[in-house]
Amino acid sequence: MPVNWIPVEPNYKSYLQLVVLIDMAILAIIAASLYLFLPNNDWLPAPLWLGVPWAATTLFFGLFWSARRYQFTAYARTEEAMFLRRGALWRLTRAVPLNRIQHVEVRQGFLERLFGLAHLTLYTAGSGGADLSIPGLALANAEAMKAELITTIATEQPQESNHD
Amino acid sequence: MTELVWQRTPILTIGFFIAKEVRNLIKNITNFIPVLAAIFVTDSSWLPYAIGGGYLVFVIASAILNHHFFLYALTDDAVHLRTGVFSKKSLTLKYERIQQAELDQTWYFRPFALTILRVDSAGSAGKEVEIPGLSIDVAQQLRQTILAERKAVAAELRDDADLASVPTAKANSPVDLERQYGLAELIRAGIFDNKLFVLLAVLIYPLSQTEVLEERIVPWLEANITFLEESMWLNVGVVVVCLAALFVLAIGVTVVTNYNLTLTIAKQRFQTRAGLLSIRTVSFRYPKLQRVRIRQNLRARLLKRFTVRVNQLQPSAHAQQQSSGTFVLPVLTRSGLEELSRWLRLPARQQLNWQRISPIALLHPSFWVALSAPLTATLSYLKWESNLLALALGASVWLALQLYVVARWQRYGFTQAQGWLGVHRGVFGHYEYWYPLYKAQQVDVYQSPWLRLLGFADVIIYTAAGAEVIKYQPLAVAKQMQSSWLHDIASNSTRWM
Repeated sequence: MPVNWIPVEPNYKSYLQLVVLIDMAILAIIAASLYLFLPNNDWLPAPLWLGVPWAATTLFFGLFWSARRYQFTAYARTEEAMFLRRGALWRLTRAVPLNRIQHVEVRQGFLERLFGLAHLTLYTAGSGGADLSIPGLALANAEAMKAELITTIATEQPQESNHD
Repeated sequence: MTELVWQRTPILTIGFFIAKEVRNLIKNITNFIPVLAAIFVTDSSWLPYAIGGGYLVFVIASAILNHHFFLYALTDDAVHLRTGVFSKKSLTLKYERIQQAELDQTWYFRPFALTILRVDSAGSAGKEVEIPGLSIDVAQQLRQTILAERKAVAAELRDDADLASVPTAKANSPVDLERQYGLAELIRAGIFDNKLFVLLAVLIYPLSQTEVLEERIVPWLEANITFLEESMWLNVGVVVVCLAALFVLAIGVTVVTNYNLTLTIAKQRFQTRAGLLSIRTVSFRYPKLQRVRIRQNLRARLLKRFTVRVNQLQPSAHAQQQSSGTFVLPVLTRSGLEELSRWLRLPARQQLNWQRISPIALLHPSFWVALSAPLTATLSYLKWESNLLALALGASVWLALQLYVVARWQRYGFTQAQGWLGVHRGVFGHYEYWYPLYKAQQVDVYQSPWLRLLGFADVIIYTAAGAEVIKYQPLAVAKQMQSSWLHDIASNSTRWM
């Protein structure tokens, strides 16, 4: 069956970049405070030894990684299953059959709210807590998908008493 | 609905509540580490006794209170519970929602013809409720009602009929299969499923914490058994005898817990019943099966026996703790295994087409193994400064590891037959896992940068009883597997749990 991949919202990339910046800023603040406030900091390497790798990491994640991640992240919905593609270097294509979905959730973190994004999570009974979570959806779209999925699941059940 | 008649469990069941408190202590032992540390650090001679005594009083007081506030009521359609000393808890379990109802005849209740009813409602929360101190008759009847209720609800599950009457009334219940496992078999099970090392760890840990070993035992040994020092072989002999005694003791534990093991299959319900002191029944209904594991470690291979374990849905909250309710048959002969496999409807062994994964899979571990050779060679050269020894050691370590890697690949296989996914692995032992494919929850195709470079992918299948990874499939094959499994799952509307 052909799978029509639908890309996520373009500002998911900006969201990823912001997350990278915040994480790297936290690291920078920790390092800077080490240099500034530690009484004897002779054993620390010269600031440049940390600063250059830090800048390189920030550039790598901020430009290359988030672009690749955004480019590869996509979802697809067929009659049988929900698909998700995720990852930048380590890539994962996950599929959840619709008749195995236990419940559906729309979530919006603080940073996601700034961009008007949300993510939709489908829970299954598989152990290990590995579930399908589609990031970078517009909130209205996520809500619509959730409603649509729930009706699909609900009309599917009556074949037998699946819930006991 | 009938009027609720709240009952208290018999006074004898205080023992059960005490046991529960003690079990809680063991489970939460890490929380008490500060207290234990205080005991070991302090000089005062009375503090350990004060803490121990205080804990004893606490256990008994809380057991009495818990017993006093444990109320249950049985109605026609539900079990009601009201528990809790300070925070009250009220629980209603409808019979039709109950997954499992088992009777535990623990050794401290057996003389009084009492039993514990263990009820399981495997929602995602997986509530387990135990009602101690029911008389066996009442409990049997209750279990029958509960399980019969399921039949009434799920009318299409005709097969469930009579499943309640398995343990008691054999006369009027059609038992499909009944197998007993004798003492000789259980001793075999004890040999290959030996908990010797677990026992050792349990014994050594407290010993190493206190100074008993250094202060009492070693001087006593030195004082009384002077001949030990005369010969190294005697020392070795003493250690071997001690280990052998522990080994026999561990066999004893297996035999006692599995004494008189009986397997019954009636319609769709598989049940084991075993125990010398405490009799425990564990059962599952066939539609709930999520995974079958056939295990044979090296000792079991030499003894030509198998261990079979059947997993049901494991709510993630319970995933870590190995629940005591898993269905295990510790010792099966080959013919016994084949018989059980037929009842479990596993595909017949003869017509299986086991597939190996691509030999490319050897590259990655071989790379790391190859790194080990120069490393061991350098290390041994630094230690002994002998070129020859270093070379020989490096080469032999590399060879052993490389052989292990190849053997692991060579002994791995997976197959698909009659709706089952089977995987076997194990270099020294033999481990086989069977998953009903249509019950799978998720299918992943995963590629690390290395796999992408090679054009391969791992396929990961998540079931309700754990995940299974099938490594190194060509990307197109992996995608094909994913989509065909998805199609099978989606188009199958039979119940999966």
